[in-house]
Amino acid sequence: MPTDFLMPKLAMAMNEGTVIEWAVEQGQYIEKGGALLTVETEKVAYDIEAPNSGYFHILTPAGETVPVEATIGIFVESEEELASLAGGSPAPAANNGDAAANNGDAGSAQPESAATIAAASTGGRIIASPLAKKMARDRGLNLATIEGTGPNGRIVKRDILRAEQTGEGRAQAAVPAAAVGGLQEKARIPMQGIRKTIANRMVESLQTAAQLSGFFESDITDLMAVRKTFIEREEQLGTKVSMNAFIIKAIVTAVKQVPITNSSLIGDEIVIYDSINVGIAMAMPGQGEYDSSLVVPVLKNVQNMGVVEIDIAMKELINRVRNGEATADDMKDATITLSSTAGISPPGCKSTPVLNLPNTTLIGPSTPIEKPVVRNGEIVARTMMPISMTFDHRVVDGAPVSVFNRALHDALENPALMLA
Amino acid sequence: MRELTLVDAIKEAFCEELDRDEKVFICGQDIRGGIFPYTMGLVDQYGEDRIVDTALAESGMFGLAMGAAMEGYRPIVDFMFGGFTYHTFSEVSVATGQHYFLHGGQRSMPLVITAGVGAGMRLANDHAMAIHGTFFHQPGIKVAMPSTPYDAKGMFKAAIRDNNPVVIPWHLGLMMERGLVPEEDYIIPLGVADVKREGSDVTVLANSLQCKNSLAVAEKLEGEFSVEVVDPRSFEPFDMDTLLRSLEKTNRLVIVDEDWEKGGYASTIAARVVEEAFDLLDAPIKRVTFPNMPVPGGYMEPYIMPNPDKIEAAIREVCA
Amino acid sequence: MNLSKEQMITLYTNLVRADHFDQMMYRRITTGQLVGFYHPGEGAIAPGVAAGTCLNEDDIFQPHHRGHAIPGMLSKGIDVKYYLAEHTGKETGCCKGRSSFHWSFPDQGVHLTTGFIGLTFSPAVGWAWACKRNGRNQVAILASGDGSYGQGRAHESMLFAMNMKLPLIFWCENNGMAIHSTMDEMHPTEDISSLAQGYGMPATVVDGQDVFACAEVALAAIERARTGKGPTFVECKTLRFKEHDVGTPDLARYTPRSEELHEEMRKRDPLVIATERVLAEGVLDQAAIDQIHERAAEEVSEAERFAEESPIATPTEEELLAAVYAP
Repeated sequence: MPTDFLMPKLAMAMNEGTVIEWAVEQGQYIEKGGALLTVETEKVAYDIEAPNSGYFHILTPAGETVPVEATIGIFVESEEELASLAGGSPAPAANNGDAAANNGDAGSAQPESAATIAAASTGGRIIASPLAKKMARDRGLNLATIEGTGPNGRIVKRDILRAEQTGEGRAQAAVPAAAVGGLQEKARIPMQGIRKTIANRMVESLQTAAQLSGFFESDITDLMAVRKTFIEREEQLGTKVSMNAFIIKAIVTAVKQVPITNSSLIGDEIVIYDSINVGIAMAMPGQGEYDSSLVVPVLKNVQNMGVVEIDIAMKELINRVRNGEATADDMKDATITLSSTAGISPPGCKSTPVLNLPNTTLIGPSTPIEKPVVRNGEIVARTMMPISMTFDHRVVDGAPVSVFNRALHDALENPALMLA
Repeated sequence: MRELTLVDAIKEAFCEELDRDEKVFICGQDIRGGIFPYTMGLVDQYGEDRIVDTALAESGMFGLAMGAAMEGYRPIVDFMFGGFTYHTFSEVSVATGQHYFLHGGQRSMPLVITAGVGAGMRLANDHAMAIHGTFFHQPGIKVAMPSTPYDAKGMFKAAIRDNNPVVIPWHLGLMMERGLVPEEDYIIPLGVADVKREGSDVTVLANSLQCKNSLAVAEKLEGEFSVEVVDPRSFEPFDMDTLLRSLEKTNRLVIVDEDWEKGGYASTIAARVVEEAFDLLDAPIKRVTFPNMPVPGGYMEPYIMPNPDKIEAAIREVCA
Repeated sequence: MNLSKEQMITLYTNLVRADHFDQMMYRRITTGQLVGFYHPGEGAIAPGVAAGTCLNEDDIFQPHHRGHAIPGMLSKGIDVKYYLAEHTGKETGCCKGRSSFHWSFPDQGVHLTTGFIGLTFSPAVGWAWACKRNGRNQVAILASGDGSYGQGRAHESMLFAMNMKLPLIFWCENNGMAIHSTMDEMHPTEDISSLAQGYGMPATVVDGQDVFACAEVALAAIERARTGKGPTFVECKTLRFKEHDVGTPDLARYTPRSEELHEEMRKRDPLVIATERVLAEGVLDQAAIDQIHERAAEEVSEAERFAEESPIATPTEEELLAAVYAP
C-alpha cells in the first residue's frame, strides 16, 4: 500500500516549504528513522527522518517549493509498486532536453514520448507473454511499438487485440470510418500513443516557455558551391555531404559566440552546455495512411566534428531510427534542436516552430528560394535559405539571440567562417 | 437418480463390483464393523471371506492384498487414513507399482488402495496428510480422487476393474457431500477430466475438495471474471487434452492442489504445460498448494490449506 | 516320514543339478559374463532343493536368494535357461531382460524375487490366503535367510498366518550370517525358530546339509498345511561356504573367515553327504551317479547355449514406457 509523504508544517506560520536536498536516491529503500531530506521553511532548515520503511518515490525535486502538506514523495512496500509509480511519474522535472525520457523505467506503461517506444525496441528487453509474442508474430505486428498493460508493463493478449484495432503495431490503419447524416467521415484515429504524446508536449511547450520566433534569409549560393566540391569527392569522403551537415556546422559556429543559446531551463537553473547535441526532428509514419508522427533523435557532441563527420554520423543516426534500431541514448540529451522542412515546404516558407523543451533554441530551415537580391549595388539572382528560429525568452533576450542569428547567417553566407 | 453421500456412492460401487466379480474382496482393519460407512454392514452380505478384517499390521494387511492380487484376486485395501500407507511404503510403491514392468509383464497387480485424506476437519496431521502426490511420483501406479458422489461411484468401479494398482483416496471434507448418483452400472474411466464449470478468462485446475472451493469462487466472481473450473479427476493417467483445450480458450492457468508445494503433481502439470503449450500462456502459471509443512494442529488448518481466498487471490493475480 | 527310493533319486538329482549350476554361475560371474551380482550357493544348496522338490506344481514357492534360488527353482520344475537368459540381459529371459537377476515364474508358482530382503513376508500372506480361498489344497513355502527375520514384516506375516490359519510354511535357511554380521549377535536366541513359539506355531530344527532330512521335514510341514492345520516353522541349519556375494570379502563381523573354519565347513558338504547316503543305501550306484552328473552338465551347457544365442534385450524407451501399466 503506498503511503504519501507530505511537506511537513514545521513552523506556526509556515505556508510553504522548499526541498533543499533529498538524502535518498529516487526509488531507494529506506529504513524508518533514516535520513530522508532537508527542508527549508521561511526561516530555517530542518533535517527530516523517514517515518516509515519502504521504497521511496520522489515527486518533488530538490530546489522546488511547495505548499505545506503537499505530497512530495510516496512510500511503497514492494518493487512492483515502485515500478508502477515510476512509470506514471508526472512533471518532466529532471528531463534535460531529450525527446526520449524514461530510459529504463520499469513501469513504462504510459509512453511518455514517441521515442520511449522506439527505445524499448532495443537496449531494454520487450516484456510480452508467450501468447502475445505469438499473436504479434502471426499478425506481423511490431511489439516494440505496442504498449503493454500487463503486470510490469508486460504486453499481453488484450494489448495485441487493441493494437490490431488502433494500428499501434504499424498494422493497417484506423478504424473504418462512419457516415453520420450528411457528414461523411474518412477515418477515425484515436488520440493515443505517440500522437497523444506529441500533442501533450506541444501544448506543454507553448504554455510553458515564453517562446517567439524570428525569421531571416541567408544567401547560400556560395555554400552550395562548396557543397558541390564536397559532393564531387563523395567516394573519398565516404559520403554525399548534405546541406544539413553544413547547417549544423554553422549552428556550432553561432553557438560558440552565444553559448546561452545551447542551454536548458531546468527547475530554477539555466544549464548551459559545453556539449552541442543537436536534436534532429524526423517525420515518421503515423498509425495509418492519414496521420504522421515525429521523433527527435540526437546527434551528440558535434562541436568538435567536421562537416563530413557530422554528415556520416547524422545519416547513421537517422538510419538507426528508421530501422527501429535506435538506442535509448540516441533519443536523449539534446541541447539545441534542428527542425528542417527544406525540400518539403514551399520555397521561402516561414514558420513558427514549437520549441523542443527544455531546449532554449530551435533552428527551422525551410526550402531555399531563388530570388533577386542586391549585392554590391546590383540586382542578382541568388539562392536564399529561409530560416525560422524560435527561442525561449525566459532564458535569453532579443539582443543575444540576434547576435546568434547574425553569426549563423554569416556562417551560412560565408562558408569559410565555418573553418574558424 | 437419487442423492447419495460420497461414502454411500463408494459403498454402492463396492457392492456392485463385489456382486459382479467373485475375485473382488475388501480388506482392512475393523472394516466389518466399519470405520467409514462404505464397509458397514457388508460382512452380513458378503461374508468374512470377502470382507476381511486384519490385525493392526499394515505390511501384513497390504501383503495379503498384494499376494492375492498376484494370484488373480482383485483386492480393495482400505487403509483408513492415507498416511498409514507410508507404514508399508516399500510394498505399496516399489513392490506393487514396479512389479508388472520388472517381471516382464507376466502378472499385473489389480488392486485398489483407498483411505480418507485431507485437512480442514481438525483431525491432526497424521489423519489429514495428502498422499496422492507421493504415489503420483511412482511408476506403475494409477492415482485419482473424486470430487462428487457421481464421480466417486464411477471412478471406484473403474479402479476396481483396472488391472493395475490404483491409489484412490477420498477427501474427509467431502465424506457427507451429497449429489445425484445413477442407480445403474456406469464407469468413469480413469484419465478423463471433467469441465465442471465453463468460463473464458482463466482455467482453474482443481481436484477433490478444492474443486468444490473453486466452483464457489467462480460463482462469487461471476460478472468480474469468467472462471473455467476443470476437475482432473485422475492424476495418473492425466487428461492433458482437456486442460489444453481449456487453455486455448482462457490462456491463463491456476492449479489448485491440496498437497505440498514441493514435488506435487501441480508442479509436473505446470512444467508440462510450459513445455507443450508455451504459446498459449498469457500469464505465468500460478499454483495454490499446501505449504511445505506438516498439517498444523489446533485451528490453523483453514488458513494454511488452500481455501477460497487463496484461490481468488491467484485468479486475480493471473488476470491482472 | 520316510522317503521312497524315487523321492531320494529325485532329490539327489536336483542336488547335483543345483551344484552344477552354482559352479557355472560362479565361473561366469568371475569372468564378467553375468549382469550384476551373484550370491554363491555352494554349501547351502540342500534346503532349497528339498523345499522345491517336495512341492507340487500348483503350489506357491518363495525360494531363498542364496545361489539366486536356482536350487529351489529347478526343483520346482522351472527351466533354468530362462533364468540364465534373464540374468544375462537377454530378450528371452523370463522377465524380458527387465529385471536382471530378480526373476519370477508366476505360472509355476514363483511370484517374485527381490533385493528388498524380507519384503516377501508381506505378499506371502496373500499367496497363502489365496491358496486357502482357491480351494485346491495349495500350500505356500516362504524360504528366506536368518537375517530376514529381523524385519518387522516377518512378525506380521507369522501373526497373520496363525490368525487366519493359512497354509504357509516359514522355511528359514539359517547359515549363521547375514552379509558379514553373525547371528550370534544379530539374533538373541540360538534358534530363530524360537520365534514361532510366540505365535503358537509348531517349529522344527533340521540339519540343512542333509537334503533328505530337510525333505522329510518339508513333507511333514506341507502335509499339515494341506490338511488345514496351518503354518509350521522349519529352521534348516546350513552353511555358506563362500562369501555373501562375489566381490564382497568373506568376513565374519569384520575379520576374514579363517582357513580352519572353511576346512570345518567343507567337511559338511551336502553333495558329499548325499552321495555317501545314496551309495550306502543302494539307492544309486556310481554309474547312475555319473550319468546324473553328465545330464546335469548337459543341462547347464544347454542353458548357457540358449542364453548366449539369445539377443540382448534392447527395447526402445517408448516400448518400455508402454510396458509400465497393464492394459
